Amino acid sequence: MKPSMQTSELLSALADGQLGGEDFAAALHACGQDDSAITSWDTYHLIGDALRSPASPALPADMAFLARLNQRLAAEPLVGTGLGSRGKSPEPVAGVVHIPIVDASSRHGAAANDGDFRWKLVAGLASLAAVSAIAWNAAGLLAPAAAPQLAQAPASQQVVVASPQGPMVRDARLEELLAAHKQLGGTSALQEPSGFLRNATFETPRNAGR
Amino acid sequence: MNYVAAQAPAPAVAATPVESRGINDWLMRMHEASRKRSYIGTFVVSSGGAMSSAKIWHVCEGDQQMERVETLTGAPRSIFRHNDQVVTFMPDHKVVRSEKRESLGMFPQLLQSTDNRISDYYKVRQEGTDRVAGVEADIVVLVPKDQMRFGYRVWTEQKKGLVVKLQTLDTDGKVLEQAAFSELQLDAPVKMDKLLHMMGKVDGYRVEKPVLVKTTASAEGWMLKAPVAGFKPMSCYKRPVVAASQAGPAAGEEPLQWIFSDGLASVSIFVEPFDRQRHDKESSLSMGATQTITRQLDAYWVTIMGEVPMTTLKLFANGLERKK
Repeated sequence: MKPSMQTSELLSALADGQLGGEDFAAALHACGQDDSAITSWDTYHLIGDALRSPASPALPADMAFLARLNQRLAAEPLVGTGLGSRGKSPEPVAGVVHIPIVDASSRHGAAANDGDFRWKLVAGLASLAAVSAIAWNAAGLLAPAAAPQLAQAPASQQVVVASPQGPMVRDARLEELLAAHKQLGGTSALQEPSGFLRNATFETPRNAGR
Repeated sequence: MNYVAAQAPAPAVAATPVESRGINDWLMRMHEASRKRSYIGTFVVSSGGAMSSAKIWHVCEGDQQMERVETLTGAPRSIFRHNDQVVTFMPDHKVVRSEKRESLGMFPQLLQSTDNRISDYYKVRQEGTDRVAGVEADIVVLVPKDQMRFGYRVWTEQKKGLVVKLQTLDTDGKVLEQAAFSELQLDAPVKMDKLLHMMGKVDGYRVEKPVLVKTTASAEGWMLKAPVAGFKPMSCYKRPVVAASQAGPAAGEEPLQWIFSDGLASVSIFVEPFDRQRHDKESSLSMGATQTITRQLDAYWVTIMGEVPMTTLKLFANGLERKK
């Protein structure tokens, strides 16, 4: 099946993290069925990277290398990953993913926040499963409202946020504290003239809950 | 240009000749303008390489103020503010958060109080004029007098003083964060009753009211052994863990937020019980103007966050102590 206009639109939306429900499943299905869908997926990411990093345009990835790596990774067993143990593994997508880095529990110590942690490099390889799995982790797990259950958040809560380095994983707990700081910390003479607007406008990561 | 402003028939503060306005005059003027003008605009914040924007409706009727913010980026949010009451609609979760923000009422008392310290720690410098979102604006820089805080470059609309653009500057004067109207319609016909109606339309939403318990750091057993220059404690809250399960922290271990301000910049100290599983690495993180450090302090995990240089946060971290 040639990718219809619809498929490429779906993949564009997927790359932007805008898909949910049936569309999401359809996009995953398309990736599993269709090599050119994968090519579109890679291209959309390249476009996204280039748009996000005007200073250092993304180098075109070596697609042949990625393909080989993907094959090797696909052959790797999924044993002991966060996905398996969570019992919520995404639909296996032929030839695309299965990458152990989605094991959030083994990564929460890694400096995902560091400026030079190039999350998008990882995303380029394994974006589908990794990003979607993390999005699932983050959505719905956050503590209700601004009374975050601060001490109860599990270690694996992570949020994908935009950054100069492209989408990055940030600790969901830090997001909660940041929200609390913005809510109550606005004791500034500039608060009413613009601080409130700044904080209200300031981006809530799409999958961050509240 | 200066004499034009001086001649403008405007309130007392606005009538002060531009060059003789002190920092408090400027701040008061900006504050007053936000309480007297109605407008519709698009507000853009760029911070740490990320850009966010929102559509803003602002209306004043008498001493009542109302604002509606519709985010255009990230998760969809509608935020309504009626004086110090803030209601946030989160359509993707079908949740509404309703809260009172005391900090919104603190100004201008903050400025009028006898121990107003802003002018002790910042001075004001003018940098000419510019046009932002179609309006002529004076550019004013609030320059910190020491290395402990950031500076601010403010574009304030010439006639009444509305802030139309704001930059946060690091100690070298580099822009850390910028917020500005990209488009602004002053004196727009915004109806408060219509916004109030929208604010109250919570059908189909779950309404959450965050529980905050006012406390003092001292009562919670915390103190700063050395005050950080210019920063005064403003308030302190506990956030009780809602429906704490067996796994939840015991009473008395509720996370604490202790808030400081120097009049322009704020710092929050968060203290929670140390959890070996989650708190594995002391770190510092910079996101636009907001800096964060984490530290372990005995059986506690401390996160300090604020729009101040990292070195200032470290002073807070080093000064924080469990009362003996």
